Amino acid sequence: MLKKLDLTPGTLVFLGALLLFFSAFLFYPLWYAFVKSVVVDGQFTLTFFKLLVTNPVQREAILNSFRLGMITTLATTVLALPLAFLMVRYDFRGKSIQNGLILVPMVLPPFVGAIGMRQMFARFGSINLLLMDIGVIAEPIDWFGGGGLLGVVILEVLHLYPIMFLNVAAALANVDPSLEEAARNLGSRGFKLFRTVTFPLMLPGYFAGAIIVFIWAFTDLGTPLIFNYRQVVAVEIFNAVSDTNENPMAYALVVFVLVLTVFFFYLSKAVMGRGRYEMIARGHVGSVSQKASTRMTVIIHVLMLSLTAVAILPHISVVLTSISERWFMSVLPQEITGKYYGMVFDHPMALSSIKMSLMLSIFSTTLDVVLGISIAYLLTRTRIPGKGILDAVSMLPLALPGIVLAFGYLAGYSGTILDARNYPVPLLVIAYAVRRLPYMVRSAYAGFQQSSITLEEAAMNLGASRWRTLREITFPLILANLVAGGILCFSFAMLEVSDSLILALKDEYYPITKAIYSLLGRIADGPYIASAMGIFGMILLMVSLFLSGRFLGRRLGELFRV
Amino acid sequence: MVSVTLENVTKRFGNVVAVDRVSLDIGKGEFFFLLGPSGCGKTTLLRIIAGFYQPEGGRILFDARDLTDVPPNKRNTGMVFQNYALWPHMTVRQNVEYGLRMRDVPASEMARRSQQALERVQMGPYADRTSNQLSGGQQQRVALARALVIEPDAVLLDEPLSNLDARLRLEMREQIQELHRDLGITMIYVTHDQKEALSMADRMAVMRAGQVAQLGAPRTLYCRPNSRFVADFIGEINLLPGDVTSTDPLQIETPNGPILSALDSTHKKGERALCSIRPEAIHFLPDGEDAGSDNVLPGKVRHVIYLGDVEQYNVDLADGTQVKVVEHNPLHRVAAEGDNVRLRFSPEAVVVLPEETDPC
Repeated sequence: MLKKLDLTPGTLVFLGALLLFFSAFLFYPLWYAFVKSVVVDGQFTLTFFKLLVTNPVQREAILNSFRLGMITTLATTVLALPLAFLMVRYDFRGKSIQNGLILVPMVLPPFVGAIGMRQMFARFGSINLLLMDIGVIAEPIDWFGGGGLLGVVILEVLHLYPIMFLNVAAALANVDPSLEEAARNLGSRGFKLFRTVTFPLMLPGYFAGAIIVFIWAFTDLGTPLIFNYRQVVAVEIFNAVSDTNENPMAYALVVFVLVLTVFFFYLSKAVMGRGRYEMIARGHVGSVSQKASTRMTVIIHVLMLSLTAVAILPHISVVLTSISERWFMSVLPQEITGKYYGMVFDHPMALSSIKMSLMLSIFSTTLDVVLGISIAYLLTRTRIPGKGILDAVSMLPLALPGIVLAFGYLAGYSGTILDARNYPVPLLVIAYAVRRLPYMVRSAYAGFQQSSITLEEAAMNLGASRWRTLREITFPLILANLVAGGILCFSFAMLEVSDSLILALKDEYYPITKAIYSLLGRIADGPYIASAMGIFGMILLMVSLFLSGRFLGRRLGELFRV
Repeated sequence: MVSVTLENVTKRFGNVVAVDRVSLDIGKGEFFFLLGPSGCGKTTLLRIIAGFYQPEGGRILFDARDLTDVPPNKRNTGMVFQNYALWPHMTVRQNVEYGLRMRDVPASEMARRSQQALERVQMGPYADRTSNQLSGGQQQRVALARALVIEPDAVLLDEPLSNLDARLRLEMREQIQELHRDLGITMIYVTHDQKEALSMADRMAVMRAGQVAQLGAPRTLYCRPNSRFVADFIGEINLLPGDVTSTDPLQIETPNGPILSALDSTHKKGERALCSIRPEAIHFLPDGEDAGSDNVLPGKVRHVIYLGDVEQYNVDLADGTQVKVVEHNPLHRVAAEGDNVRLRFSPEAVVVLPEETDPC
């Protein structure tokens, strides 16, 4: 407000610090990976990018990742499109409950779900045994034939269809009903109407959702790892971490993923920018939805409930695993016990990992809250140069796959004081913080935008300093947003997969997710304790999403859109 | 209570000059109005006085103190915002006490003063409610109490009544005027509503494109506008262009006949000029009656609009120019549509204005 730009010394110092922070922990690691992929032994070379295509191992991994991404995207589309149609176009009793239920699969981390999935769909797992018991099949079906792609796809689809749904439903709700009315007036109806008018209008929103889903499935590390489906890009990169000698191949893969991601998000922005048709014809807000008949209501409820039931099947299985004393060659556990929950707090690795995760998450959330509020404040309340850049940079981690950043950290800071191989805590904190910063910035930004600036001016007019106004007026008014953002940052940090798997390399520094992964590999009671820990994780994520949903209301969904 | 002086204040937003070298002297205890159409810079000027905008040039003085570089929280003004800006997370009392808390007023005195301020605006019984439990008018009263309780050097009001319905607006007008009378505090009031300004102001400045078009008492601005813009913006006006044919007495030759003006003017013989006459200054001259020294123009009634307190006649002059004539509460219709009439108006009612090329 003061002078032309608000460049007080404090602001300048903060901007400088931000620049340093993002340079060091966002751009430097990416740049490092890029340089390493094209400069080998001091020589510029594109050999390793050629190898991506010519080497059968790498080629197979890339092709598999593409398959995984494409199939997941297609499958989520097929699921989400009709769902969105039903939910947007019909009014029925219990709609708000169904709207909440549809998000449930998303709150359960797929990484944990994979454990249960393995149990259920194993050769002599519950599903096969159940089917044999009732005589549908004689021989057990190999569900994960083809190297396990099917299992990974199923799990990704079950986890990601809510994200697709959120995007598609928003796009559909944005289509001006009068445009459809116009088409109907001219004689179009049914699927033809959808294909010629509705779908083209909602295409930008659909595209945004499709890209998130594709990138997510393409770069997901946890699920393929648990399924032992190793021939994908993410796992290849992960394997390179344990290589003792530096392998430029891994850098090439990281750069490949990065370029792909940037390309897709650019594409998404371009399509979004070009295709904002739905706004043109605004004028009247006609009712989009019609009242569903009783029969329709029943159909919708049955459809939605069965889908949700299938989607949480893996997690039910995790619950069963965590309480089963013995579970072998039977549909349900033969004996149940609560001892594994007790063991979570006894087992040295389990206990230390919980302490570790708590510490890391508290630090990273604090960092997110401080950075997020400051950035949002600068963006909404001051006039500073380079606002657009600041906005774009702080949102960038949303688009950046976890493995890319984590790998860049590990490689870029190896041999320095921050070397994760020696002491991963600082880099883990920073990795968690950078990855979840967009959620905090978005929450705080929304808060600042909603609260009228005259409320702050009124306080200043009556004698409050800037800082005091912020403390007594602004923060209390946007507290809900800040709390919601903080909760999200915290719970995602607690269950962060790729950063934890890549950066934590010593037992004593394992966070929860890495401990679960490691425990799963042990025979005896490992998987049971891992399941019990997974349950804790699920409960944590559910509770925190519920809480932030209460604070943010309908805006929660907006956090998961591009 | 202070006098507020603006010296050559200029404010730009990008390439737009929002306030253009404005100088004003607002006296101690004066009720001063900034009036103008939207986008004329009046709100910007008020926000400069409050300290929310920093001008690119010029100075702001309270008495002799230069406040140009003083932040808003150190200026001791009480501002009333257009949207009231009551804090929703505080009760009415907490809202009112806020400014006192900033001034470290002891608790007992704070309670006494906030109660008194609330009672002054008849909001005493509502002290423990939150702002979203109040109606628009009640919120406005609380906003007033909050601004007044700190005993500010000047009260700044930014279109405070624009969100209220017509009846409430009239009521609040009287109340604000009463507060000003009782407290004798310097008040600067921004509005686009000319009736508000005319009825309440000691003095007012009509603004146009970032500059003060005319400054003066309401009566002066209404009866002696200095430009077509001011004449047009405040009230209704009839404008008849012509050539100055004589300066003593001042006579303008228009296509509808000569018009005499008895008011002072700097116009020279041969210049183009505009005769401006308020509709209520024009009357119908009954058949056979002599107009004496008054101006007389023939015309034909095109349209009659009955508005209750007044009746408006749209009259076509000989060359087709339309003129509005207003009779106050006529007992019966003075003229009917299609009637040929003679319009008479006193030379005292004719303000001669320079002809402007840019009519805005």
